[in-house]
Amino acid sequence: MRLQVRGRFRPRRSRIFVFLGLLGPGLIAANAGNDAGGIATYSEVGAKYGYTLLWAMLLITVSLALVQRSAGRMGAVTGKGLSELIRERYGIRWSAFATLCVLVANFGICISDFVGVGAALGLAGIPAQVSVPIAGLGIWLVIVRGSYRSAERVFIWLTIPFFAYPIAAILAHPDWGKVGHSLVVPTVHTSPAFLLLFIAMAGTTITPYMQLYLQSAVVERGATVADLKSESNEAVGGSIFADIVAAFIIIATGATLYVHGTHSIGSAADAAKALEPFAGRYAELLFGIGLLGASLLAAAILPIATSYAVAESLGFEKGIGRRRDEAPVFIGLITVMIVVSGLVAMVPGVPVISLLVGVQVVNGLLLPINLFFVWRLARNEELMGEHRNKGAVDWVTAATVAITSTLSLILVAVTVLGL
Amino acid sequence: MPAPAATVAPPEVLHLSLILGGALRDADGTRLGRVDDLIVRLGGAGYPPITGFLVTIAGRTGRRSYVPAERVAAIAPGAVTLTKAKLDLRPFQRRGDEVLLRHDVLDHQLINVEGARLVRANEIELARLDGWWRVVGVDTGARGGLRRLLPKRLAGRIATGDFVDWASLEPFSGDVPSVRMRVLHPKLARMHPADIADLVEAASRDEGEEILQALGDDGELEADVFEELDARHQLEQLEGRSDAEVAELLARMAPDDAADLCAELPAERREAVIDLLAEAPRRKVRALLGFDPAEAGGLMSPDFVSVYRQATVADALERVRRSRLPDEMLATVWVMDQHHRFLGSVALAALVRADPEASVIELEVDDAPHLSPRADFEEIARLMADYNLTAAAVCDAEERMIGVVTVDDVLEVLLPKGWRRRFGLLGED
Repeated sequence: MRLQVRGRFRPRRSRIFVFLGLLGPGLIAANAGNDAGGIATYSEVGAKYGYTLLWAMLLITVSLALVQRSAGRMGAVTGKGLSELIRERYGIRWSAFATLCVLVANFGICISDFVGVGAALGLAGIPAQVSVPIAGLGIWLVIVRGSYRSAERVFIWLTIPFFAYPIAAILAHPDWGKVGHSLVVPTVHTSPAFLLLFIAMAGTTITPYMQLYLQSAVVERGATVADLKSESNEAVGGSIFADIVAAFIIIATGATLYVHGTHSIGSAADAAKALEPFAGRYAELLFGIGLLGASLLAAAILPIATSYAVAESLGFEKGIGRRRDEAPVFIGLITVMIVVSGLVAMVPGVPVISLLVGVQVVNGLLLPINLFFVWRLARNEELMGEHRNKGAVDWVTAATVAITSTLSLILVAVTVLGL
Repeated sequence: MPAPAATVAPPEVLHLSLILGGALRDADGTRLGRVDDLIVRLGGAGYPPITGFLVTIAGRTGRRSYVPAERVAAIAPGAVTLTKAKLDLRPFQRRGDEVLLRHDVLDHQLINVEGARLVRANEIELARLDGWWRVVGVDTGARGGLRRLLPKRLAGRIATGDFVDWASLEPFSGDVPSVRMRVLHPKLARMHPADIADLVEAASRDEGEEILQALGDDGELEADVFEELDARHQLEQLEGRSDAEVAELLARMAPDDAADLCAELPAERREAVIDLLAEAPRRKVRALLGFDPAEAGGLMSPDFVSVYRQATVADALERVRRSRLPDEMLATVWVMDQHHRFLGSVALAALVRADPEASVIELEVDDAPHLSPRADFEEIARLMADYNLTAAAVCDAEERMIGVVTVDDVLEVLLPKGWRRRFGLLGED
């Protein structure tokens, strides 16, 4: 029996930190973008437009890397979470507004991840009405009982099948010339559907909760100014890595579904077909396992991250180790998110892929608000001193805010005016 | 400051959010600008008085001016009125013991000394005491937050929440590293070291540093707090300190906790710090570092009070009196023969009750059990439970006593997970 002890010469960081040290919160946060909603969106992009949107992926990666880097640095310099900084610098109204946006966006993602669980097990013939309640109860117990760490490890292992995408993409023999061309030459379509998908892509890749999670994780790690360089590198590296995987999902679907004339994805089974060049008839199994792991991981992390953000900004007691009577709002919100998301995901005949993409659109719409605060806080001299964002970094971050805001406004206009 | 006598009419009360953003008026009632922030002076006894205002004068947006409290005649919801018609602006120079209520306190975390926890200031209550406005309390509940979220007209309809009296609150000095100042936190010294450690763990790194700095003059208290901190926070707080400072802290800590902390230090730093320790603590720490942390040798403290079998009760009591060990380590006096072989133990209570001339050997518990340094938790716990011990002796192969395992060392390990509060998104299980 191995007891956890206060003791000498145990590893400098406890096992979870060793584990996170290998993966790192920068990598985890960015990879969380490749959850059920991410996979659905990238698959849809690849199926509908082939490789032609890869250039956008390149731009989004630059933005993501800088935004994640800012969040990581803020955590290391100030030792405070993002919601906490917003509350302290901008007061309770702005903080409540930002938190509300995060709440709406995260609720959507949470629903989409339970839908992902249902879809993944649906491939094995298990109806969502059976799989989702079990998954929800399991996740709730794991969070409230607090043995969440070990579960997280299992979930992360479960996502490894998604690394089959790069292999599948290569085995599908895409036209590499076209891929390279699409990467550097922007192609723009003028249809609302294109705009929608573009915003969904930005929304799922630069998700607000990724910054919240990363900053809190960096704080929790006890990183200081001395770790600034490694934290920055990790945030940037994690973003690039996650987006390479995302790009390969687009290439793999583009080289299979799009080429074969399937321009729309209706179900998880359709999306799984992109893995056929690699896995053949096991494509569905591989896809299902990956989707299940990614969905479970996100469905477990999201309620926690959301509850932290709400508690930080409104000043409620928080902490996973707390009992219900110690932190009623914190635990209550986690419970409500799991129950409601699970119930929505159990609705029979829910249009899986369009719901997943729709949630990413909402995310994309709310994204500029969170980014605005990241931009303003990271360049604040009082807060960040000599480590504030300056020059090109600050400009590109500002441009990201401006571009995502413009896109969101256009989308609202298009929807309202029915153009 | 004495609390206002019960016979006096209740003082006028104001809330900070009703003043901020309100008008700045001159004596004639002309609107001059907007009130941005209130400055209060901490440090004195009693409730901190308002010493000035930061204002934006109409037509000069983006520049803040300072109005000292002496120039202000009245503070009311929505308006601050000057004593004169003429405006006399000065540049604001923040003094060491001043904080800005909106910038540094409102929406920030404060230490609630009574509950030993961190609270967030949702609203600040001011009252007119002894002729001038002072900060008397902070609303930390949901109501205060809701009042500020809603438009002012609606907010008035919501009853104010529970205010925590300022007497049990300590603010942090603010998140401006360039003007970080030494704010004393006299109320902290009233708290138990374990509670202070909980606060340091819950606070951000800089806030934690501030709490520990505030204890700076009381090295013993600081060492006690460090004994209670978890490893991550210990290391976090030691990062900025020199090896000599770390050694000084270690010397004040109990040897077993000091050894634990040494083991956590980065390898390249460990030797340097141990070399800076004085002879006695260095030997103890080195000896303890050689044992397995999960066994009695690693858990024990090498400090204990022992007497030879020939000693009288009076001798033993005198040893206890002269000892500089903490109280809980003195509940038991250990007895050995002239070859330092372990014989047994005598409870302090038994010594106190006994005839001072009697020999300790008459009181000694015969064949008292002892542990080998290799004993594991189960063995230690079973021995303590079976013999109703709060402390058990650890002896080497020659039966010489080398240390004591106390019940709190074992409890810490055996307590169920989750009983200890955990903070943070990625907190350890």
